[in-house]
Amino acid sequence: MAGKLYEWLDARLNLKSLGHTLLDEAIPGGASWIYVFGSATLFIFCLQATTGMFLALYYVPSPDSAYDTVQYIQHEVPFGWFVRGLHHWGASAVMVAVGLHLLQVYLYGAYKRPRELLWMVGVCLLLLMMAFGFTGYLLPWDQNAYWATQVGTNMVASVPVAGDVLVRVLRGGATLGALTLSRFFAVHTLFLPALMGCGILVHLFILRRVGPAGPWSAEQAKQRSETFYPRQVYMDALVMLGVFLLIVVLAWTVEFPLADRADPADHTFTPVPEWYFLFFYEFLKYVSGPLEPLATWVLPGLFILGLLLWPLIDRNPERRPSSRPMALASGGAFLLVVFALMGVSLWNLHATPKTDPSVARGKALFAQQHCAACHRIHGDGGMVGPDLSYVADQRPDRQWHLRHFREPQSVSPGSIMPAFTLPEKDLTDLTSYMVSLKSGAGTPEGGEPR
Amino acid sequence: MTRTERPSETRRTFFAWMIGLAASVVGLGLAIPLAGYVIGPALKRRDTSWAAVGPTGSLRTGEPEELEYASTVKDGWRTVTAKKGIWAIKQPAGEVVVLSPICPHLGCGFRWAAGDHTFKCPCHGSVFDVTGKVLAGPAPRSLDVLPSKVEQGNLLVLYKEFKSGLDHPVEL
Repeated sequence: MAGKLYEWLDARLNLKSLGHTLLDEAIPGGASWIYVFGSATLFIFCLQATTGMFLALYYVPSPDSAYDTVQYIQHEVPFGWFVRGLHHWGASAVMVAVGLHLLQVYLYGAYKRPRELLWMVGVCLLLLMMAFGFTGYLLPWDQNAYWATQVGTNMVASVPVAGDVLVRVLRGGATLGALTLSRFFAVHTLFLPALMGCGILVHLFILRRVGPAGPWSAEQAKQRSETFYPRQVYMDALVMLGVFLLIVVLAWTVEFPLADRADPADHTFTPVPEWYFLFFYEFLKYVSGPLEPLATWVLPGLFILGLLLWPLIDRNPERRPSSRPMALASGGAFLLVVFALMGVSLWNLHATPKTDPSVARGKALFAQQHCAACHRIHGDGGMVGPDLSYVADQRPDRQWHLRHFREPQSVSPGSIMPAFTLPEKDLTDLTSYMVSLKSGAGTPEGGEPR
Repeated sequence: MTRTERPSETRRTFFAWMIGLAASVVGLGLAIPLAGYVIGPALKRRDTSWAAVGPTGSLRTGEPEELEYASTVKDGWRTVTAKKGIWAIKQPAGEVVVLSPICPHLGCGFRWAAGDHTFKCPCHGSVFDVTGKVLAGPAPRSLDVLPSKVEQGNLLVLYKEFKSGLDHPVEL
């Protein structure tokens, strides 16, 4: 049946010659597991495109709705948490795959004549991938998204001369807001995919024109060759399957929680960028003052330019690593710096005391239950009930708070507060939040006790 | 001289099977959750709740009155207050019948014509009597009756919607 259909289509569309063109390209030196990273990257990109399209079914890019729609996807849509998890872990996986692909090409000297253009287009694709990461991070519109993008866009402002205009164009206005979110969404889901699609086609077109590079030793490459199908396709397919299963397991087992809804007024939040921007985040800590634009723009700009033009800089025609000590040493030094910065950054993040998650949930409940309609904390909220900014100074006892939530009048006779019969866990979280509100806590330099 | 190798036929078949297997696992692994993701919310039943629409004391026997049904409903990720006008008719025996405000023909909103003592749908000209029975026009069934009850003198209604165009009411 399938064979007959194929014959019918082939008679009209000449599929056999197309199949021959696509599948029977000769790989010098034969198929190898070391050549799988490019296809793995392409596969994860397609996975990202698929999950991204499905996320767009329920996502709404406006500050009023974005956070709620992501919550809806995460908690109410069947498999929503899974689709979002795939997209989140896929973003990390594609960065790893791109990194390994670049490393392999670098190590094998596969960017050398006649493959300079293939490398340059590849570097452009890498930059597009980072732009995907940067724009996608804002979309959930939670605290992390908002403040990380605040920092990211502020870096643009430090560009000499044009900085002010650039940052306004990037944000769609003077401050981060509705116009930023809508343009980041459009760039992430329409502009970048279009550019990326074209870029990938050009990358593959050049690959087919110049052919794969094969092993670094010319003798080995001449000895034998093998068609792309079936062995290389088989290896690529197994690696894709492995990558897919890995992302599925991560999405299934490691929850990727949302932070609180973005709150432009909450300056206590410390954002953390995605791990693939961490080395840069750490690097920026070591430079300040007039040198800052140098670190944020001049050095990265020179580095990207150098990476882009690397095939023209490294004119040594030898591809064997042992004959390219300078190229390998500089590549190794770069990796060392990047991983060292990333390591230091992760170390620091790990050492920073985290807010007790129960306190964070309690704080969210405080907002959800509209407690602020009556109670004021650090200047926000009503004046009907007592100010709770430092409530734990007077009421450090957890049991008192638990009893008070269930039946306010039992511990505070004459109180007009209504009883809050919430689930036990919610009351515990609210109590954790109450007990955390004491002088010397919560505010950076220890709030002034009154 | 370069020698292009081709694996034996059995090896080729093995590779083809493995490639097919990998593609199937990835394809199914995506297709099943994604199908649930797309279909799930679409098939979710709308949850409605009883809501008080007003005291029964002010209703006049045999005279339909339009009352406002307001309830908090989930519209996707939004929680909104939905308002619907429903028709309440006090029966001679004292109980109250509540009619859905939507014409069972194609879903227009009908009006009460006090002069003719009939409900008239302006879209396609269906006419119903005060009990909801079809008197004229293309409507395939009587007006839909909504569940209602009286508690402490207040009329409570459970709002529902029904498929249009059928000769018997089927809840949406």
